[in-house]
This record gives sequence, C-alpha cells and structure tokens, in this order.
Amino acid sequence: MASHTCKTFLSLGRINVPGLGLQKTASRAAYATGLPVNTSAGNKGLPDRSGRGSSVRKPKRDVGEPRTKKMPVDQDWTAVYPAATPFRQDSIPLPVRMGYPVKGGVPPEKKGNLELIKIPNFLHLTPAAIKKHCEALKPMCTEWPSTLDTDAKCDEHFPIKAESTDYVSAGPSVRNPSARIVHLKVKLSSLNLDEHARKKMLKLVGERYSKDTDILTITTDSCPLRQQNYDYAMYLLTVLYHESWKTEAWEAEKTVADMEEYSWEDSPSQRNILDVLVRMKVVGEGEGQDVREQLLGRKEVQEYKDSVTRLKNEGESEDAMLQYKEAVKKVFNL
Amino acid sequence: MRAALGSHFNSCPTFSKSMAASMALRRELCSLARIFIDISPLAPRALSACSAHRRFNIIRSHLPSTSSTSFHTATVFSSTLSSVTVTEEPDSLFQKVSVLVKGHDKAVLDSYEFFATMAAKELGISISKVYEPHKDTERLTLLKSIHIFKKHRVQYEMRTYYRCIELSHITGCTAQVYLEYIQRNLPEGVAMEVTKTTMEKIPDHILEPMWKDHPVDDKPSQ
Repeated sequence: MASHTCKTFLSLGRINVPGLGLQKTASRAAYATGLPVNTSAGNKGLPDRSGRGSSVRKPKRDVGEPRTKKMPVDQDWTAVYPAATPFRQDSIPLPVRMGYPVKGGVPPEKKGNLELIKIPNFLHLTPAAIKKHCEALKPMCTEWPSTLDTDAKCDEHFPIKAESTDYVSAGPSVRNPSARIVHLKVKLSSLNLDEHARKKMLKLVGERYSKDTDILTITTDSCPLRQQNYDYAMYLLTVLYHESWKTEAWEAEKTVADMEEYSWEDSPSQRNILDVLVRMKVVGEGEGQDVREQLLGRKEVQEYKDSVTRLKNEGESEDAMLQYKEAVKKVFNL
Repeated sequence: MRAALGSHFNSCPTFSKSMAASMALRRELCSLARIFIDISPLAPRALSACSAHRRFNIIRSHLPSTSSTSFHTATVFSSTLSSVTVTEEPDSLFQKVSVLVKGHDKAVLDSYEFFATMAAKELGISISKVYEPHKDTERLTLLKSIHIFKKHRVQYEMRTYYRCIELSHITGCTAQVYLEYIQRNLPEGVAMEVTKTTMEKIPDHILEPMWKDHPVDDKPSQ
C-alpha cells in the first residue's frame, strides 16, 4: 500500500514531498487519480493545447440574444446608463451606424464598431436623467436677490468686481498657474474722491484706467495663490485711495505741462487774441487792464475761448474745426 | 485552499475565469460597502449646502457600471436630501460666469452645450448668451521620410473648437453646484475655462479717507 502510494508520488513529480504522513498521502493520491491528464500537463510545464486543449478547456458560453430584445419600450433609461460608460452595442436599442462607408454602401453597423466606442457618448445624460439630477440638486441652490435685476443696480450697490479664471483639463497635473491671476475693476465715480484726489489717482494709476468706461483695473499675479492676489489688489486699492487724498508739499510745483486738461485762462491763446483785438482798436480807448477785461467779456471772445478749449481737449474733428471757424469769423467780423 | 488549487492548475483557463468573476463580485461588494459607509457619517456632521452636494457626486461616480443598477438610485437620493444645512455666512454674488469649453470634436461640444444649457434651465439659472468662438487650427508640415526626400512632406493639423456659455446673476452656492455638476460630466478630451466675476461692496476702509478728521503733517514723501 505504502509502496504503491510512493510510486504515484514519484509519477506526480514535484507536486509532493516524499516522507509525508500516511493521511496526507492518501488524500493526495485521491486528487491524483481524479484528474490524471492535468497532472501530466503540470509535469511538462507548458500545456500542450493542440490535441487535448479543446477537451480540457471549459466549453464557451453561448452569446445569447442581445439585451436590447428584452428591453421594454417604456423602460427607465436612467437605470440602464446611470453613469458615463463606453458604448455597449448590446445594451442600446438603436440602429446606430458610424464610420467611413464601404464603397457603394453604408457606414458599418454598431456590432463590433470601434468608432462608436472611441467617441465619448452622452447616453447617461438624456433629458430625463438631467431632470432627475437637477431635482436632487435643487435644494442646494440659492436664489438671486430679486431687487438686483439690472446691471445698473448691481453697479450701484456692489461697485467692486473681482474677476478670476478656473481651468479644468486632463493632464499630468490638476493645477494651472494662470488660475492665480485676479483682476479688480472699480468705477472711479463710485469712490468718494474730490477733484484733486481724482486727478492724483489718475496720475498714480496711469495705464490701468480707461477713460471711455471710467473703470480702474488692477491686475495682480505676483503672489502664488489667488486669495493672496486678491488681498494684495484690495490693499493696492486702499493705498491708492488714501494717497490720492493726501496733498504733498511738492504738488504745489505743478506746471502747465502737468495739467490734465487745457484751460484757456493765462494761456498763449488768450494773450494772442487780446493783443490782436487791442491793436485792431485804433483810437478812442487807452491801453490798460480794463480794456482787456472789457474785451474778454464780449460774447465773441467767449465763443472763441469755447472753440479753442474744445479743440485742445477733445482733439481735432469736423465739428470742432467748424465751430472754431465760426468763432474766428465772428471775432473779426468777417 | 483555493489559492493552493490555483498553483496546481494555473494553466487551466476555467479556474482563472471563475477566480476573476469572484474577484469582480468582491470588488462590487466592497464598493457598495464604501457607498453606505460614506453616507452614514454624513448625516450627523453639520455640512454646508455645497459640500453635501460634493459627497453626493462622489457616491454617484463610484457606482459600478453594470446594467442592473436600478437599486442604486433609490438609496442615494433619499439619504442626501436630509444632510443639506444652511449657514449664516453671506453668499457671494457673481455678476457673470463664463464657461468656455474647448475640444477637438464639434459634435461632442454640441452635445455638451445641450446638456449644460438644459441643466442651467432646470436649475433656474439665467443664460445670457451661448455662442461659438472661431476655431483655432495649428498646422505642421513635416518631412514624410526619415532620411532625405526633402520635396515630399506631410501636413498635419490640430483643430480646437470652442463653445462659450455665459450665465448672469448667479449666487455663489448655485454657481458651485452647477459648475461641479457640469465639470463632473465633462467628457474625455474636452477642457474647460470658467471665468467668474464677483460683485462686492466697497470695504469700510475706503469709504472715507483717514486723513479727513486729522490733517496730515507736511512730511516730504519718501
């Protein structure tokens, strides 16, 4: 008995270790006799599937009919495709065709079609599914205050606008360094500034102010985080505001070249026109300041002043030149 | 015992299939357990409205993708509704939220636009405009052959299509909910840029200059 079992051990090869107890050997012998073919295959190392493979392998399952035949017409599609999944041709009861058509034929059918699997599908986002999702998301949304319906009202109550961008893309990293940039936009008319403060603010700010829309834009990107950039932008706004209200000693040395707008008083244009008019007046009136003041008070001179101021401030245009021409003609009675 | 059998019969395909099937079953069970474990600690914790939604979405994405999933939807919906809490923190206001999606396939962007606009309508968000910026094309001309044949080249191009959805007058909570829903369902191969314009009041320290009450000493500027 023992010798017989030993022989079976040796035939099994490396499966058993010689010198085991009788109980174990008996159980091992039972396995060995049950499936002789497999043990010999194990001996060789690599299986030989050519002749005996078909009988050894488990018989292939029948494919069966596709699920689409069992689907009722009024089924819940959101249960069939609840999440984003690749295209399964047996689960979708639609005769979809995709791909380049065969010569003189139609695009290939959905069975075994790689093009349909490659393209992202929106089968999990049908209108019914979207409605269901939104129904569940509704409790977490808040309402916009009904009184702030126009942009004008929003600007009046909330004049400061902070703009920033978030980026979503696939890649080795989720982060995008451009996401830290913050643009702060304020309308200067909404800030509490007097004339001097406004002019000083414009000089301090320079390029960041746009005259057409009266919006000051502060762009910060020097800090690594968006919160830091936002805080820095608010800090800059505060500093600009307070500095523009201050009057420094050297501001008294402001020259004509520093002025933002053209003013006609004490300008070469005023002196020139007054000189010309005084010389035009021949006799009868003496020289002096009162003559000049009298000339200044005349309506034509005022019109001339308006046209020159308009030309200098707004730049040259058809209307401005015509107005200047009319004013000059009136002054010289042409 | 099963593992021992495996070492004997590792050539047998039958055994590996059944092993794989049982592994899949085990994985499914583990994921299901994860869902339920996730839900239970949620309820007692005080969450803000928006983070509750985040949990809900995580659960949704963990669902195993099989056809017989009718049981999932019921359990998930009932548990999250109870965990929405309202906090006293003032909500931020967005004057404009601009969602720009970029992709290589126009049809995918069309479908995504339909989905995003429908979601916005369902949630009651006002859409100011939906438009399509012009596509960008990047072209390369490369040599066709690895060696010589300079006259024979091949040209490639990469097209990026854009779609922009602008929403206006939206609160912070709603924006967070909507954007997270949109971004979770962003298809593969599509990128998104979201530009938000927040509205704020003038802070207290800018209302009045601090030199108004006490006059400034004439100090020379540094």
